[in-house]
Amino acid sequence: MSADDRLRELANRVRKHKGVGEFDRFVPGTRLREDLGFDSLDLAEFTVRIEQRCGVDVFAAGVVHTWGEVVARVEQHDRSTARGA
Amino acid sequence: MHKTVLITGVSRGLGLACARRLLEGGWRVCGVSRSESAEWSALARAHAGMTEWRSWDLERTERIEAGVQEFLPLTRPVHALVNNAAVAYDDLATNVSLARLEAMLAVNVVAPMMITRAVIRNMLCHEVRGSIIHISSVSVRSGARGLAMYAASKGAMEAFSRGIAQEWGPRGIRSNCVVPGYMETEMTAGLTADQRTRIRRQAALRRETDVESVAATVGFLLGDESSAITGQEIVVDAGLS
Ligand SMILES: NC(=O)c1ccc[n+]([C@@H]2O[C@H](COP(=O)([O-])OP(=O)(O)OC[C@H]3O[C@@H](n4cnc5c(N)ncnc54)[C@H](OP(=O)(O)O)[C@@H]3O)[C@@H](O)[C@H]2O)c1
Repeated sequence: MSADDRLRELANRVRKHKGVGEFDRFVPGTRLREDLGFDSLDLAEFTVRIEQRCGVDVFAAGVVHTWGEVVARVEQHDRSTARGA
Repeated sequence: MHKTVLITGVSRGLGLACARRLLEGGWRVCGVSRSESAEWSALARAHAGMTEWRSWDLERTERIEAGVQEFLPLTRPVHALVNNAAVAYDDLATNVSLARLEAMLAVNVVAPMMITRAVIRNMLCHEVRGSIIHISSVSVRSGARGLAMYAASKGAMEAFSRGIAQEWGPRGIRSNCVVPGYMETEMTAGLTADQRTRIRRQAALRRETDVESVAATVGFLLGDESSAITGQEIVVDAGLS
């Protein structure tokens, strides 16, 4: 499954936990707060879900604002672990 | 399913008493301390399969993150935390040694905060409405000669606990402090007979605080019976304060 697909699943799990419906208009410019509706607690939950699933803390290297940035950090991690393997 | 609790300082004293009580209550106990005492080993044998232990030196705060990832990875749900391990630094403020002060703050303040960070992250991952306890001390309230630095470290944890309660309450995560009075443990082994008598006389119940009473309060605050209690300090001190 691509990084983008994995992340969509996780983002929608956070939204479900929040009691809001599924989001399906993900584009690189999708903003985590304004478009996905994530507050700081939701972002913390999203971060740990990503860490559990993908093995990387996407906020560790600085704040991310958009969908494209999150996907890029996970893809970069996937590439570096593939190289290391 | 058995719930999992992480307890720091399980080798003796209050931490050991908390571990015993929680095991009897059906909890799975993950314990840490520097040494694996004979008492802990006996308890672990009596509750085979329900305990796990790691040697952690909480003064080495830079190792905590890796320690948590190994002991309690995000794939394994944690339901509760008891930040119990602490050291007392007894001296006049005019004599403070920077090295000893920093070592105490590492164990009493920085380590429990970093462990709380890891445990809350774990709880978020598993949608666990968990409970976190920090062990404080009546010295925060009463003040005592020689205990200014120690009491300040405990006061920091009381403030931290209230902040955590507000911050993570929306996710159902609770944080409370249990505030013991004078208990007869290794921490207070250096007190003279006179000092002990004086403390007992000051307490309404004219006695020390038994670790069992404190451990029972911890058990209560971890359980569902206390589900509406958060951001509080519960004093268990035989009426000392
Ligand atoms: N005793 C009292 O009168 C009293 C009163 C008020 C509050 N308290 C609080 O109650 C709690 C328990 O105290 P206690 O009386 O049970 O003390 P204790 O008998 O001295 O036990 C302290 C525990 O903390 C562990 N610990 C100490 N330094 C550590 C380190 N660097 N890394 C990992 N573990 C460490 C010890 O294990 P190892 O040595 O094996 O590492 C031990 O298991 C503490 O938070 C204390 O401040 C005690």
